[in-house]
Amino acid sequence: MYNFLSFFIGVLIAIMIAFNGTLSDNLGNYYSLVIIHITGFLVMIVILFYKKLKISFKNNIPIYLYSAGAISVFTVMINNLSYTALGVSLPVALGLLGQLLTSLAFDCYGFLGMPKVIFNKKKIIGLLIITIGIYIMTFI
Amino acid sequence: MFYILISILSGSIVVTSRILNTKLSEKVGLMQSSFFNYLTGLSASLILLVFLRDKLLTNQFNTIPFYAYLGGLLGVIIVILSSVITPKMSSFYATLIIFIGQLFAGIVIDFLINQTISFSKMVGGLLVIAGLAYNLYIDYSSEEIKKQA
Repeated sequence: MYNFLSFFIGVLIAIMIAFNGTLSDNLGNYYSLVIIHITGFLVMIVILFYKKLKISFKNNIPIYLYSAGAISVFTVMINNLSYTALGVSLPVALGLLGQLLTSLAFDCYGFLGMPKVIFNKKKIIGLLIITIGIYIMTFI
Repeated sequence: MFYILISILSGSIVVTSRILNTKLSEKVGLMQSSFFNYLTGLSASLILLVFLRDKLLTNQFNTIPFYAYLGGLLGVIIVILSSVITPKMSSFYATLIIFIGQLFAGIVIDFLINQTISFSKMVGGLLVIAGLAYNLYIDYSSEEIKKQA
């Protein structure tokens, strides 16, 4: 069930990259960022209203936890820039390499309070195969 | 090369923001954390627009296809679905399957845009999936050993 959901999320992300990239091609980088986030924000408000959920600011939450949305803006911006130059599948593969290395760093060091997972050196083989794959996608 | 490097960087941001978002959702609730996501995201976008204002390209304004405006909507759906799976799966595993979906759809979209099938993208993509699957298998085997011990 969660596997299927994960696959579906992946497909949606690729479609979103193409949609946002098209908007950015037409309107420019920053205007499109604002439109993308206004749309998302309005959808969020509708959902909250429909579900009758209340928003409250809690003082005991570290402020950096609120930064997810702000740093995601740069993901959207990078995707929009790369879409014009590289299309969808290549930035996706390159983004994966960044994700994997970052995930491993989180596992290894337990950043942001994540449970520590000891790094298995065999994973270097997998990362190597991935890098070769990305090389073929990019340069051949 | 510039686009290659920033694309890798965007992957780091994705993982970091996914973890932050999950932690926030544990404290304030799923929908509430997504609300804050978009509130801070919109604020950051407006700040970028004000400081780095680029020329508004209006020449093609009327020819923008309607679907181009739906990215924000899809983003909300993705944020919500991601928050559902992240506490249930290891970040490595979630990354794997989401990627297979992304790559599959990405190659299809590239085909629709270019009208040609890129053989190297398919071969390279399969290699990437193989590498991921191998690392996933390592994760699984080490978990099995832990269970037996």
